[in-house]
Amino acid sequence: MDGGIEIEGLRKRFGATQALDGMSFVVRPGRVTGFVGPNGAGKSTTMRVVLGLDAPDAGRALVGGHPYRSLAEPLRRLGSLLDTGALQPSRTARNHLLWLAHTQGLPQSRVDHVLGQVGLADAARRRAGGFSLGMRQRLGIAAALLGDPPTLMLDEPFNGLDPEGIRWIRALLVSLAAEGRAVLVSSHLMSELEGVADHLVVVGRGRVVADTGVRELLDGVAAGRVILRTTSPTAAATVLARAGATVRPSGPDALTVTGVSGEAIVSLLAGNGVSFAELSAHRVTLEEAYLELTREAVQFRASSDPEAGR
Amino acid sequence: MNTVVLGRACRAEWTKLRTETGFRWLLVGLVAVTVAVGAASCDGARSVGDPARLALSGVTAGQAVAVVLAVLSVSGEYGSGLIQLTLSAVPARTTVLAAKAAVLSATVAVTGGVAVLGSLLLGHLLLAGGPALTDGSSLRAALGSVLYLVLVTLLALGVGFAVRDGGVASGTVLALLYLFPLLTHVVTDPWLQRQLARVGPMPAGLAVQATTGLDRLPIGPWTGLGVLALWTGAALLLGGAVLRRRGA
Amino acid sequence: MRTTREVRKMRPTGSMRTLHAEWTKFRTVRGWVLGCVGAALATVLFVLIGTVSSNQHPGGAAALPVGPGGEAVDDSYSFVHRTLTGDGSLTVQVTALTGVLSDPNGGPGRTSPGVTPWAKAGIIVTPSLTPGSSYVAVTATGAHGVRMQDDYVHDRAADLTGVPSPATPQWLRLVRAGRNVTGYDSTDGTHWTEIGTASVPGGAVQAGLFVTSPAAVQTDGGGGSSPATATGTFGRPALTGAWQGGWAYAQVGQDAGASGSYVPGTTGGYRANGDGAGVGFSITGAGDIAPVVGGPAGGPAFTVETFLVGTFVGLIVLGVLAAQFAAAEYRRGLLGLTLAATPKRGRVLGAKAVLVAAVAFVVGAGAAAVTLPLGEARAHAVHFAVLTVPAAEQLRAVLGTGLLLAAAAVLALSLGVLLRRSATAITALVAVTVLPYLLALGGMLPTGPAQWLLRLTPAAGFAVQQALPRYEQVLSVYTPANGYFPLPPWGGFAVLAGWALAALAAAAFVLRRRDA
Repeated sequence: MDGGIEIEGLRKRFGATQALDGMSFVVRPGRVTGFVGPNGAGKSTTMRVVLGLDAPDAGRALVGGHPYRSLAEPLRRLGSLLDTGALQPSRTARNHLLWLAHTQGLPQSRVDHVLGQVGLADAARRRAGGFSLGMRQRLGIAAALLGDPPTLMLDEPFNGLDPEGIRWIRALLVSLAAEGRAVLVSSHLMSELEGVADHLVVVGRGRVVADTGVRELLDGVAAGRVILRTTSPTAAATVLARAGATVRPSGPDALTVTGVSGEAIVSLLAGNGVSFAELSAHRVTLEEAYLELTREAVQFRASSDPEAGR
Repeated sequence: MNTVVLGRACRAEWTKLRTETGFRWLLVGLVAVTVAVGAASCDGARSVGDPARLALSGVTAGQAVAVVLAVLSVSGEYGSGLIQLTLSAVPARTTVLAAKAAVLSATVAVTGGVAVLGSLLLGHLLLAGGPALTDGSSLRAALGSVLYLVLVTLLALGVGFAVRDGGVASGTVLALLYLFPLLTHVVTDPWLQRQLARVGPMPAGLAVQATTGLDRLPIGPWTGLGVLALWTGAALLLGGAVLRRRGA
Repeated sequence: MRTTREVRKMRPTGSMRTLHAEWTKFRTVRGWVLGCVGAALATVLFVLIGTVSSNQHPGGAAALPVGPGGEAVDDSYSFVHRTLTGDGSLTVQVTALTGVLSDPNGGPGRTSPGVTPWAKAGIIVTPSLTPGSSYVAVTATGAHGVRMQDDYVHDRAADLTGVPSPATPQWLRLVRAGRNVTGYDSTDGTHWTEIGTASVPGGAVQAGLFVTSPAAVQTDGGGGSSPATATGTFGRPALTGAWQGGWAYAQVGQDAGASGSYVPGTTGGYRANGDGAGVGFSITGAGDIAPVVGGPAGGPAFTVETFLVGTFVGLIVLGVLAAQFAAAEYRRGLLGLTLAATPKRGRVLGAKAVLVAAVAFVVGAGAAAVTLPLGEARAHAVHFAVLTVPAAEQLRAVLGTGLLLAAAAVLALSLGVLLRRSATAITALVAVTVLPYLLALGGMLPTGPAQWLLRLTPAAGFAVQQALPRYEQVLSVYTPANGYFPLPPWGGFAVLAGWALAALAAAAFVLRRRDA
């Protein structure tokens, strides 16, 4: 049985809110899949459905090809971090993991191993209630790693972490994927996934907006975008617009130009006697690509509204 | 204590209390349980010892609902971390305690008043020869029963602030209330029996319901209610001290 | 190597793993473990409060006699007896059973003629005059006809009814053959009807005529009792077999015992009535030959239930623990983690139920096992009577206390799942167990509603602690206020267990249906 999560057409309504509206995507082994969307887009609900905590109105979620609730030793198939506050404050970190280990028939040595792995070995016998947010996050990740599962699912693991902690989790996620595991990481901040995620599932209003590789996404958004630095932006803009380019100011003497190639810009400006200081291809951040994507999604949604809720 | 601040704190506490899950059901439950148990006691009673006391016997059950109401208003805040927000809005701990006490007292006084009047009316209808609704001792029993419910509520509030956990608080208060009469029942020594009836918050407090045979009571009606008030005062002092000393 | 051993050790099935995990959860919260210890301690300590006495019986009215079956008995009667060394028979005609009653409302000294329903005038065979000895008797009674009784708890009706009088005498006969004693009655001394057979130990026994009378019991209203004395008139006893010595008189049990008392101005005694046919006797007595029961017939004494009063503390503390064990999962979203580890929700609930039931049983039975001997020792120390019950009944009370707390803990756990808040759950638990008990036994409710409460609510389960059985041959007020549950011990427990299981089923249903 391999790792991976398949999510097919999940729908779930809470009262008047359609939390999931046909959510479908696949999490594949060997890479980190970022699960991104604004708050309330249905990320956590999807994860709760995967874990069998919430029952969907329609659709299904499979872990390694099986419904989670049918798994005999689920933590050996899927490790998850949903809610870092999910612990009895008076129990020690080690005992918190110990009862979890007992549910799967895992030995105590496994508990000590994961505590070392997340850097909590020294705090193992302290009350978990006294832990900082970062330590709780580490404890939650230790619980996810406990069964050495081929698939991991972490909900907002970066929340409340200091820069050092964020760096640690990023490295951990990358190494887990490199070991061939399927890793799903949700976040509402695209920047957190920069340099970590290989694949992105972008969601909004309970459905998938984009399901794409990070490389293709960046390339697609960056294609044909050029930054132009000039002391006479007005003249340059007029010339380029006349040639069919889209021009937006992006600073006091800088323009973002799309629609025409770099060579064409050079010849157009030279031909019209407009001087310029610098011409460079734009490097988009994941954040920008995401905003671009969601802008399109909003437009898409507006145009296809009559069909929404179908 | 600034009265404006207290007034605002009271309004805030009232808003919190009435938006508590199940708040309405608890109030309905208080009235229903009190009246139902009272009616069951009156119906089929052959020898009527003290008609007012019999009609008001539902208070013994209704007080449990008042305890839940008070305990939940504290433990709910600690359970959810809401207490931090409450204390940041009203940093004076005594004001928070006073506001909660005032709001709970008013709520239970009104609800308990309905329950007590309903019980007396039903008793009047069901019991041959009892209880007159207007004579002095019946009025004392009615007013005293409402005060009893309020004092029990405040007792629970104090214990709630002292232990913070809802289950432990309810368990403690209910044990304190019900264990004394249970002990009184099994203890064979008459002296000890009398002492238990004098110091126990429930048996002493409920002496206020007596309308007949006052000279044979272990403790006088108002004195008994005073004993309960002492328990309540002690619990509120303890709860207030814990609230001031310990971090939220 | 260590790993493989541990893995093998934990190979058991999923249910056992879940149970193991829940046990780890339970024992790693210090407050819960301390709570269990506290519940046991409180249960034991309460017996010390319950048995405090300002020493109202100096010098020791002390222990009640104990019958052959181990139960506390009354064994007080006026006895005209001879020694029977082997087989033989005793036949006598009872020509009258009359008596004097105190008038409970008439003040001291006011009496009226009359007999109580279980006043007795008859013949008895017993190995010893020591109270609590084995016996077989055939006797006329005040209102229940001729009865054959043996060893206090056994009672058989004969075919003769009514009260003996000179016009309608009742003939009684006991025949001893080896260990067996057979009872007969007759209206004319010629035609005999066998009533039954019972056994007494071999060797010399005392046999003869006896009279006794329990106090008059007001079965309605307050349920008090007032003194009663009875007098039986016998014809000349006819003897066959190995008799020794002459007739002697004894007041067995020194006094009228716990359930009887002499009307002021009367005393126990006998008179020989000489007539042409020989010697008959008139015997006057008060007391009873019967097991002690609760209520007005029993008088003030400690019972097993008295010693177990701490059960209520244990119930509340364990109830809080069980409710928290469920509600703690809902606080802070721990349930999500629990169900992610064990997606089979029924299994999680089952493991929790088994765990709290086991813990509560151990605490309850353990505390009760310590409490009973401790209570008895305390009672003897303050010279207070104890209604002893047979060992089997004590064992039932001990195990029953454990089961009672186990069922209550399961109920609390289920309420915790259903209500999701420990404060509400524990209050609901107390409201359906302790409160009905208090209302019914505290005498606040009239008998009718009180009995229904103890039949229908989970409080019925306290019946399992009831050690005093009711006996048809002892008139008392068998109401909840006197410690008598309307249901038999295991029947009452079944009601509680039924509630606990129903709540558990509802919790399982809700847990499966509800999003975690």
